[in-house]
Amino acid sequence: MQKLLKKLKEKNLLMTHVVIGYPSLTETIKIITTMAESGVDIIELQMPFSDPIADGPVIMKANEIALKNGTTTKDCMKIMKDLSCIVKIPLLFMGYFNTIFNYGIEKFCKDAFKAGCQGLIIPDMPIEEEEQEKFYHYCEKYNLAPILVIAPSTPNDRLKKLAKFAKAFVYCVARKGVTGEKTDFQKDFQKYINNVKKYLKIPLAVGFGILEKKQVEFVHKHAQIAVVGSVLIKEYEKNKLMGIENLIKKLKK
Amino acid sequence: MYSLPYKNGHYGQFGGRYVPEILMPSLIELEKAFNKYKKDKKFLKDLDDLYKNYSGRPTPLYFCENLTKKLGGAKIFIKNEGLNHTGAHKINHCLGQILLAKRMGKKRVIAETGAGQHGVATASVAAKFGLKCTIYMGARDVARQRPNVFWMEQVGATVVPVYDGNQTLKDAVNSAMRDYIADPESHFLLGSALGPVPYPEMNTFFQAIIGREVKKQCREIYNIHPDYLVACVGGGSNAIGLFYEFLDDKSVNLIGVEAGGAGKRNAIRFKGGKYGVIEGYKSYFLQDENGNTLPTHSISAGLDYPGIGPGHAYLKETGRVKYVSATDKEVLKAFQLLAKNEGIISALESAHAVAYAIKLAPKLAKNKNIIVNLSGRGDKDLFIITEALGDKKFYEFLKSKV
Repeated sequence: MQKLLKKLKEKNLLMTHVVIGYPSLTETIKIITTMAESGVDIIELQMPFSDPIADGPVIMKANEIALKNGTTTKDCMKIMKDLSCIVKIPLLFMGYFNTIFNYGIEKFCKDAFKAGCQGLIIPDMPIEEEEQEKFYHYCEKYNLAPILVIAPSTPNDRLKKLAKFAKAFVYCVARKGVTGEKTDFQKDFQKYINNVKKYLKIPLAVGFGILEKKQVEFVHKHAQIAVVGSVLIKEYEKNKLMGIENLIKKLKK
Repeated sequence: MYSLPYKNGHYGQFGGRYVPEILMPSLIELEKAFNKYKKDKKFLKDLDDLYKNYSGRPTPLYFCENLTKKLGGAKIFIKNEGLNHTGAHKINHCLGQILLAKRMGKKRVIAETGAGQHGVATASVAAKFGLKCTIYMGARDVARQRPNVFWMEQVGATVVPVYDGNQTLKDAVNSAMRDYIADPESHFLLGSALGPVPYPEMNTFFQAIIGREVKKQCREIYNIHPDYLVACVGGGSNAIGLFYEFLDDKSVNLIGVEAGGAGKRNAIRFKGGKYGVIEGYKSYFLQDENGNTLPTHSISAGLDYPGIGPGHAYLKETGRVKYVSATDKEVLKAFQLLAKNEGIISALESAHAVAYAIKLAPKLAKNKNIIVNLSGRGDKDLFIITEALGDKKFYEFLKSKV
C-alpha cells in the first residue's frame, strides 16, 4: 500500500483502467507501460469476469474477449508481478468478488501483495458480508488497500459505516448507471462530493463516464483523482498505443 | 422454519447481498418494505384477493388415475400451477411484488425472463397496475420462446433481446441488473428465489401458497398423506414454493429435478457446480476454474441457468431435499405420456418433474402418494416441441403462413 499512499500526496491525479488480456496479454503489457510513460498516476487492472454487472458495453465486451483469449487469474497475478517491477506508479486490481472467492480470499490477497499490487477495487463485495468473507481482514493483513465504492444515493449512515473500512482513497461513482456512458456533471455533484468529504477524510477518486479534458479539470476541482476507463478502450480500438499516448497527454496537460 | 433457518440474509453460508453500492439503498428499502407488508393484514388480504380473482387460485390438485394405472405403483397427483392466469406459478410472486412496488410508489418495473413465463406474468401485472415495464430476455430465448415475446408486447411491455454471453437467462439477469443500476428508483421484479437479499426470502414467501394449498387439498379432498413432493428446479421458485410448508415434516420426501440436458451439455448445478458469488448471491454455480460461469444447456429455457437459489443450496447440503436430474429425452417422453394419458399439456420445465415421477412411481407401493408440481402449461413450447418431435404437418402449416 506504501507506493499508493506516497502517490496520494500529489495533487490532480489521473487513474486509468485496463482489462487484463484485452486484446491480448502481450498488448495489455504494452498498454500499461504506454500509460505509465504518458504520465498516468495510478492504473486499475481489471481481472476479466463472465458476469461484470457494473460494467457497460465497452468494458463488458473487453471482458468477453479477454476470457475468450483464455486469460486466467494466474495470468493476472503474473502480469501484476512483471509490471510492478517495470512501472513506478501504483497498480491496483479491479474485479468481481467471485474471481477472488474462487481463488481463495486469503491466498489471493497474499499473492496480490507478493506481486506488488497496492489495492483492490471489488464493487460487489459490500462491508455487510465481511463477517462471512473476512475480505477486509485479509486486505489489511497483506497490506492491500480495499478501495470502497460510493454512489450518489449512498445515505449518510452508510457513509459513516463505510468510512471505517475505507483505506487510501474512495472511489465515487459520478452518477447512476454502468461504466462508459458520458456523465453530465450537474450542480448537485458538488453537493454530493462535499457530503462524502464530511464522512470520509481520505482522498476521493471520481469515475464513470469521464471522456474528455474538460471533465477531468472539473473533477480535479473537487477530488484528487479523476478516473478514465471505457474511453481509453475505444481510443485503443481506433488508434492503438499511439491513440492512448495522445489522449493521456491531452488529459494530463 | 427449523429446516431452513434464515439469518441476516443467509441460509447457512448461502445467500447474502453481494451488489454494487449503488443498489444498496434500493435493496435495503425493498427489504424494509417487504418486512413491513408481509405482516400487514390489508396487504395480505389484497394479495389473497388477487390470487383468487385475478389468477384463479386455488389451482387444482388433480389425481392422474390413468397415468397411475399405467405405471402400476404409487398414486400420482398433479398440482396444476399451469392453470394460473398467464400460465405458470410465476404470477404468484409477480402479484406479491407488484403490490409491494405499488405500495412503495414505484412507477416502473424491470424484469428478466428465461422461458418468458416470468416475463409474461410481470408484464401482465404491470399492465393491470399501470406501471411501465421493461423485460430483458436472452436473444436465444427470444428465438425459441417467440409466442411469449408477442404476449408481453401485447400487454404493453418493452422486450429487450440480450446478445451478451450465452444469450440466455443468466445474461438477461445481468442486463436487468444493469438497468436497475441505471434506474434504482424502479422496482426490479426478479423472477426466482435467488439474487441478492431480499429476493430469495421474498419470492419464497409469495410462492409458499403452492404448498399450503397442497397440504389442505391432500387433507380435505383426498384424505391422503403426501409421501413425495416433486418439482423442477431452475432458480428454484416453484420448488421452494411447493416444499416450504412441508420442510419440517420429515415424513414428506422432497425431490428437486434439475435439467439433465443432453450428455455433457446440461444445467445440473449440484453435479458440476461449486460455491460461488454471482449475480448478487452466494450459492452453487456452474463455473470454470477461474470462477467464470459456464454455458448451460436445457431443452427448457426456464431451467437453462448456471446458478440455483441459495435456499436450495442449503437444503441440498443438509440433505433435507434430494436433487436429481432428467434429460431432454426423458422430458419429451414424459411430456407425451402426460398429454396422451391425462390430456394435460405440460411446460417443458415442469415435464422434468413429471419425468422423475414416472421413474419413481413404479418403484413405490400402491398406497404411496406422489405430488408433482406442474409449474406451467406448455402452450409456449409449441415451437420447440413440434421441432423436437419432427411434426411435418406443423412445419407445412408454418410454411403456408409465411
